[in-house]
Amino acid sequence: MNQSTDDLDRRVRRLVYDVTLRRGTPPTLAATADGLDTSPQQIAASFQRLAAGRVFVLAPDSGEILMANPFSAVPTPFLVEFEDYACYGNCIWDAMGTVAMRGRDARIKTSCGDCGAPMELRIVSQALHSGHGVAHYALPARRWWDDIVFN
Amino acid sequence: MLLFRSEEHVDRWCKVWKMEQGAILTLDQQWHLAQAWYSPDRRNPLWRRKTVDETEVALAAAGLTGPFWNVRPPA
Repeated sequence: MNQSTDDLDRRVRRLVYDVTLRRGTPPTLAATADGLDTSPQQIAASFQRLAAGRVFVLAPDSGEILMANPFSAVPTPFLVEFEDYACYGNCIWDAMGTVAMRGRDARIKTSCGDCGAPMELRIVSQALHSGHGVAHYALPARRWWDDIVFN
Repeated sequence: MLLFRSEEHVDRWCKVWKMEQGAILTLDQQWHLAQAWYSPDRRNPLWRRKTVDETEVALAAAGLTGPFWNVRPPA
């Protein structure tokens, strides 16, 4: 990677997370190109490099951002409600991750992976305020990225 | 990484899906890990992914050690 692609990737990462933290969903490829006054081809290549570096996960067909971890671009079973917007985490780790990343109070709404009963966690002042349950990791850590969408 | 009402619900889910049980975290452990992983500001130009050593430290700080949490590539 040369210095110019390195610099572009840093600017792309900054813009993507800036937008995502502000509104809860990552920007499109076109919006990122507009925001950085760069060609969509250069942004698509940057997205690919950042995905290879496991910063983003891209939709296979469109090359758009599917996950700007911990945020999901599409609805998932992990809804996170902040005072100013609601967003989706990719899993329970990521749902909590959106709260850690923003440093704001939030309510996480999901359901039991087994029986589907609604479950709710509240995080207040960066502490777990209420909620019950356990998180289950089906795959060992070394295999998390084998199929990150499943995991 | 899913949330379940209890370990009994994890057992049942694993049986239904014919999967071996993986690892179970308390909510406190999960929150600790989420904070360790996602608190660093990814907008910062100096941000980078955690190294293997740093990942091990973050996992261990949440009480997650042992073969299941081994992130080192196979030798």
